[in-house]
Amino acid sequence: MLLQACGMVLAIEAVNLVKEFGSFRAVDGVNLKVEEGVIFGLLGPNGAGKSTTIRMILGLLKPTSGYVKVFGIDVEKNRRGVLSITGYMPQHFSLYEDLTVEENMRLYASLFGLKGKAAEERIRELMDEFVLWEFRSRLAGKLSGGMKQRLALAVALLHNPKLLVVDEPTAGVDPPLRRYFWEKFRDLKRRGVTVLVTTHYMDEAENCDRIALMSRGRVAAEGTPLEIKRLAFGGDLVELVVEGDPRRALNGFGARLVEFEGNGSYSRVRLLVPDASEALVPLTKMLEGKGVKVVRAYPLPVSLEDAFIRLTSG
Amino acid sequence: MASLTALVVKDVKQLLRDPRSLTMVLLMPLAVMAMFVAGYGEERSEVPIVVVNLDRGSISWQLIESLRSSGTFKIVAYAATMEEGTELVRKGVAYAAIVIPEGFSDSILSGQSTRIVTVLDAAYATVSELVWQSAVIATQMFMKKASELYGTFYIDVERQTVYGPKVSSVDSFTSTIMGVLLHLVPMSLIAVSISRERERKTFEQLIMAPVSSWHIVFGKFIAYALVTVADMIVTMAFAVYALGVQVRGPLPALLAVSLLMLLCSLSIGLLISAASRNQLQAYQAAIFVFIPSMLFSGFFMPVELLSPTARLVSRVLPLYYFLKAFRNIQLRGWTLADVSQECAALALETAVFLAAAVRVLRLKVD
Repeated sequence: MLLQACGMVLAIEAVNLVKEFGSFRAVDGVNLKVEEGVIFGLLGPNGAGKSTTIRMILGLLKPTSGYVKVFGIDVEKNRRGVLSITGYMPQHFSLYEDLTVEENMRLYASLFGLKGKAAEERIRELMDEFVLWEFRSRLAGKLSGGMKQRLALAVALLHNPKLLVVDEPTAGVDPPLRRYFWEKFRDLKRRGVTVLVTTHYMDEAENCDRIALMSRGRVAAEGTPLEIKRLAFGGDLVELVVEGDPRRALNGFGARLVEFEGNGSYSRVRLLVPDASEALVPLTKMLEGKGVKVVRAYPLPVSLEDAFIRLTSG
Repeated sequence: MASLTALVVKDVKQLLRDPRSLTMVLLMPLAVMAMFVAGYGEERSEVPIVVVNLDRGSISWQLIESLRSSGTFKIVAYAATMEEGTELVRKGVAYAAIVIPEGFSDSILSGQSTRIVTVLDAAYATVSELVWQSAVIATQMFMKKASELYGTFYIDVERQTVYGPKVSSVDSFTSTIMGVLLHLVPMSLIAVSISRERERKTFEQLIMAPVSSWHIVFGKFIAYALVTVADMIVTMAFAVYALGVQVRGPLPALLAVSLLMLLCSLSIGLLISAASRNQLQAYQAAIFVFIPSMLFSGFFMPVELLSPTARLVSRVLPLYYFLKAFRNIQLRGWTLADVSQECAALALETAVFLAAAVRVLRLKVD
């Protein structure tokens, strides 16, 4: 809201998007606002409507109702305008398997209007960046899974898009390549590119600046990974190991006891606080002040997966 | 046995779950039979012929009456000389000229044997066969009747063709073979091209580049044309130089007509491709288009001799124009100027199908 007031345009603005396939509502009223220059994750299990949503954002599918604007351009009205600033890496390898790496890149360079020396340079640049140079005359169909993914990303970036849309880039990909991809996305972000990425791996969504959790065609929650987790649990979890039983001392302090485990001399407690980084020091001081010796105190990491399951199961 | 049953059940289910393809498979035999009955079942039109009566007597007119009442012939002209009659056949006004010689009546009255000549248009092997057989039967009927009045005599029916004594069957079927090759092969080849891209998902990436349906349709059209033209020239060269197929007209004219047919087939295939969702559908649609072409374009029988409905259908079929032009050039020795109408029709149809393909192709995924 604030950004719009300042005259900035959203990279993606999806309003009341609905897509029906026959009687099935794959996407059921999705609203998204993606600011420029962020890595935005669309998170959710398979069949949540992520791919359908991004296909509507890209104008590959016509929404049953609602609309999408990319950098202020209406996708259904001026798709060409959107394509020139958008790169897309689909879920399945979609380049020509019977063309070589170089031929695929040349084809798409031409289609995006890159000519002569500029095209040569851009292709060379991307081949170096994505380690494709030595495989340039290999048929795309003969590449390994990882190389195919790198080629697909290189092609998506040929025309220096302002927005990169990536559908499940890490599905069926080995851990080193997954890490490589997320490094690339952060790198692109530093260069000012907005990245919209879908994934069903909750752990890697931590890499996103903002995420939208999708479930059954709807956005169940939206925010930074931290916000999502707080939303799911009603705050942050902290764990303390103390001498004796701290339960009486904790009364009246703004923390909710979630778990208690004690053997008489030591006990371990889990507390829910609004903000872990702000709460830990006062909490320790308060307990020490009341004569409870604190052995250890630390924030408890919560996974997005836990958050997701909490948010969608009730 | 259980495995077999399981596989059968699976395949039947799969067939039933592609309603578009299934409809085509089930409808095809029905549609083909209906088309066949509509085109070939009705009373056959009469074959136009020219009569050259060189006889000055009156008995020849009884023979002409016998020919007329046979139900096979329609006498469209009377020519004064054999040359004039032959010329009318050559021009395509009639499929045959029947020549009654000078002194025909006298020969019969004097009990001598005589002969009539059928000058056949060998461009249509089936028609010339029909004409000749009917002429023989009509003559025999006449002989039977006339012998009661004039005593015994004999009439021999001689067979000639406008292009020398005989057109070999290789020559007369070249147009048919070329028609099949130039229609079915390029059409089915290109028909699966766009649906294959859809199935392999490359379409999804392709339409993320700023291309229009115009680009995609013409890109495929030109690429497939370049490849199949080479194929066409090789086939034609093989026919002419290796098989010794005779070409009476100019060879470049024959190539030009073939090229137009090839382009037209590609444009039909593209329309099918733009409209189909998967390769199977596209393939079936191509076959579905080919069958009426085969029935109503003069493959077996000149369209002019079929029912009026069939004649109407033939006018939209590119193969009809192609076969007509090709036969006239190859067998009758016509030039490109003589078949300009057919060429124009082929070019027009190509343009219409291409425009339709551009319109039908949607740059979306399912």
